Amino acid sequence: MSGIKTRWELILIPPLLLTMVLLVASQFIFIKGSFHKDLGYGDLSTTYELVNYLRAFSDPYYLNVLLLSINVSATATVLTMVCAVPVAYIIARMTSRWAMLFLALVVVAQFVTIAIKVLGLIVLFSPDGIINRLFLFLGLIEETFTILGTFAGVITGLMYYSLGFAVLLIYSVILTIPRSLEEAAQIHGAGRFNVYRRIIMPLAAPGTIICSLMVFNISIGGFASTALIGAGKILTLPVIVQRSVIVNYNYGMGATLAVILLTSVILINLFSVWMVHRFRQGKTLTI
Amino acid sequence: MNARVSSRLISSGSRSLILAAVYIFLFAPIIIVMATSFDYGERAYVIFPPERFTFDAYLNIPEYIENGIYLSIGVGISAALGASLIGIPAALGIVRSDIPGKSLIMTLFRIPLQIPGVVMGLAFLQAYYAIGAATGWYANGTYIGLVIAHIFAATPFVIGAVVPVLQRFQPTLEEAAQTLGASRMSTFRKITLPLISPGVFAGSLYAFMISFGDVPIAIFLSKPGTSTFPVEVFFALEQEFDTTILAASTLVVIFSLIVLLIIQRFSGLDVFVKTR
Repeated sequence: MSGIKTRWELILIPPLLLTMVLLVASQFIFIKGSFHKDLGYGDLSTTYELVNYLRAFSDPYYLNVLLLSINVSATATVLTMVCAVPVAYIIARMTSRWAMLFLALVVVAQFVTIAIKVLGLIVLFSPDGIINRLFLFLGLIEETFTILGTFAGVITGLMYYSLGFAVLLIYSVILTIPRSLEEAAQIHGAGRFNVYRRIIMPLAAPGTIICSLMVFNISIGGFASTALIGAGKILTLPVIVQRSVIVNYNYGMGATLAVILLTSVILINLFSVWMVHRFRQGKTLTI
Repeated sequence: MNARVSSRLISSGSRSLILAAVYIFLFAPIIIVMATSFDYGERAYVIFPPERFTFDAYLNIPEYIENGIYLSIGVGISAALGASLIGIPAALGIVRSDIPGKSLIMTLFRIPLQIPGVVMGLAFLQAYYAIGAATGWYANGTYIGLVIAHIFAATPFVIGAVVPVLQRFQPTLEEAAQTLGASRMSTFRKITLPLISPGVFAGSLYAFMISFGDVPIAIFLSKPGTSTFPVEVFFALEQEFDTTILAASTLVVIFSLIVLLIIQRFSGLDVFVKTR
């Protein structure tokens, strides 16, 4: 019997090697590039220096970009979770037929490329668009408004990456909380608010916190919608990375900002992994 | 008794209101793109409600957009095949072998999921420059260059779809086949592959859609003039807008829906929703 046993670990070697090669080849070279100074016209100095990093953390322009990126992502995360948690809860407490329909709709929305959704948003909010006309008609606004170049517009755009993702994830979290717990609490006289505070919140907290961290990561890396809706006014890290490289040929600075972006995403991930371990050890949150 | 208990946490009216608001929010941009695509005139902007109903926009889709869609489909298929070729053996190795440090290996395979698209695009661009400087062959702006980056980005989705399917069935079936004299290869072909095929199928189509919808990686690796469809839409919105892009987008939405329906039909939506 053991003679014909397949050596599965050997099968693992080629994909592991390929992934490692792609990972190391791509990441190593650009991280190395982040230590070279830009000499203009796409040329890089040959010496290693920290000048790009010093600039990123001292130049008010780049400091603003960092702070704005954090601000944008945090706001998008809070709003995403505020929308996602009730929706996921409602779906999780439906009969399974309806639940599958609503989940499938979320997947459909997630499946359409972000470029098309941003196109739709821009059409929707254009000066002649349905929203402006409706608001004018209702007397809510006196003159047309735009989402282009506004903070609110960028947040809206980011939510199209993360909302569906968050609903699907929180749904599976809520599903692990038996409904009988809620009913038991209600039989014993707990009001809606207390059921929420004493049952749902503590049980869903670990999953919700981890989901929030993931949404934050998606948001801080969000590029297409922020670049288009931000329209050169809301400049976050990914937008500046793309501009530095494609528009200004500042490969060194672009790489530095990309390293900062990558590092923050990885740190948030490690924090999230650490949280998972903490929760697994049975230390529940007391809120 | 029951009636009182089933007074749920959110009242029925608020429930419908919340669902309606969020689903309108999610679908409004997609529906508006589809609705306005039938209004076509000598305008560079869009109005809603549409002034007329015509298929003219569909007949006037410029060649570069059409080519963008074909390129996206081509790159998507190549990336899905590549990701499956890496992802299936990876999943088999992770589930079946008994080597230590499996979770570390799994983490390693999942790393591409954590890298923001812009960083991935920049990283591959720099790598291609470096390889080009050394060998004289520059992969940026080439089909294969984009495919390699997309394979890297999409492989975790194949692994993520195949691993749970593999974990669900016991290797006893394969052992039985081998005991009865089947070779390793025919066991794999006749037993393992059919059993994991729903996962493989869903995973590779998922990988296809990751590649098909990508903007940030392709924006770094495309050659100006021959970009994938999402990048063409990006440039159309950033620079010059052509209303035929709405018609092309509508076709792409319908295409995406068909892909999703195929996944649903053959494998269910388990890849996207973890119900267990």
